[in-house]
Amino acid sequence: MKLRIDLNSTIPVYRQIVDGLRILLVNGELNAGDQLPPVRRLALDLGVHFNTVAEAYRTLAEEGWLDIERRNGARVITRALPSPADPETEGAFQRRLRELVAEVQSRGFARDRIAHELRQLAENLERS
Amino acid sequence: MPVPILLIVPVLLLVAGLLHFVPQLTRPDLFFAVTVAPEFRRSKEGRQILQRYRLFVWGSTMLAIAMAVAAGLPLAAVLIPGAGYLWGFVSSHQRALAYAAEPNPIVEVELRAPREGFPGGPIVALLPVVALGALGAWAASHMDRLPDRLVVHWGLNGADGWVNTTPTTLFGLLAVYAATCLLLVGVAWGLLHGSRRISTSGPAAAGERQFRRRVVLMLIATEYLMVCPAAFGLLMPAAPGMTIWSVALALVIVGFAVSLFRSGQGGARAMALAGGAPTGDRTPDACWKWGMFYVNPADPSILVEKRFGIGYTVNLGNRWSWVALVVVLVPAALGVIFLR
Repeated sequence: MKLRIDLNSTIPVYRQIVDGLRILLVNGELNAGDQLPPVRRLALDLGVHFNTVAEAYRTLAEEGWLDIERRNGARVITRALPSPADPETEGAFQRRLRELVAEVQSRGFARDRIAHELRQLAENLERS
Repeated sequence: MPVPILLIVPVLLLVAGLLHFVPQLTRPDLFFAVTVAPEFRRSKEGRQILQRYRLFVWGSTMLAIAMAVAAGLPLAAVLIPGAGYLWGFVSSHQRALAYAAEPNPIVEVELRAPREGFPGGPIVALLPVVALGALGAWAASHMDRLPDRLVVHWGLNGADGWVNTTPTTLFGLLAVYAATCLLLVGVAWGLLHGSRRISTSGPAAAGERQFRRRVVLMLIATEYLMVCPAAFGLLMPAAPGMTIWSVALALVIVGFAVSLFRSGQGGARAMALAGGAPTGDRTPDACWKWGMFYVNPADPSILVEKRFGIGYTVNLGNRWSWVALVVVLVPAALGVIFLR
């Protein structure tokens, strides 16, 4: 189970760590009780500042995914399902999705390739 | 011909021989401390840079031997090769920079990578320090049973340096030994908990883990083999066992060195070469000053893999590296100066 970051990306590393871990959490690859590496260890291995990893862990803890432990890093906890999304969140989701599609399209991704990826994602979501 | 000059010749040849092969020990995508495509070292340009470097190594060695043997200048045997090796490396580094490749910007970390610790636990690493403390406590209450002089130096023919036994010299010596042990433990801790793992999964990670473990074991073995005879010799300077300990220490160091040379830098020989952009050691080329000194304040690592040779070096851009250096080296240096 790997966390992947792109040092050349325009997306801040902190954001990439949050997004990467959230994908693993949502997909069930990380489950309640699983231990994440200590902040110091993950920061060393990624080659980023300790605060960057600590901030990412804090964000996920605020979202209810993690329990931060002083010595051992962070532990995945059982997360209470949030109430159905409000219209503002739905609007933000649609906007981000469109922005992402536009971005990869402008980078040369073919429309059918993007459609294929989205379809696959939708199928996975329906199955889960 | 004086004996020291005769001894210089094999030493110089041995050093030149080692330096001849050092460029082959580094990770395949690092060449004279520059990130390059893995196949670059086999290219025409790569071979030319390597040949030129070896010309410097052997040229300066031969010149130094000639100066030392023919002209009887032993100092030349140190200065000429030193300057030759340095110039050979720095100029090769500069030439290799023209062929630098963009390193792979993708970093993948295995979240379930095993944690690493001291073999046998931290108590094994700290036991020699505890033993020195116990020895000091025993000596404090048995000063009348200690020899008149304490050994502070050993040569090929046994003990050849002494100081008169006083509480100051006794505890000063024990403090120097303890500081040296703590330095070795500190370096081992830095390798395990303060250095980046370049690979965290697959055979590359296993090779790297084994390499780190060997280095840590070497540091702990050195600690034991250094402290045991030192304490032993401190109390019984006439004991013949000292030579055996010295030979054992030399054999252990040579044995570990050979095993590290065989595994390559960071266990690099165990790694399967992946295609695409080179990974290198995940440190930016720009942070390596003259290819030798790593200065990167943005890197949390205290120790990083050397880019030339085998083993690790300090990240001089990390303030904790400086704190560690001052805390351990200054008392040790003061102790040595004081005992002289």
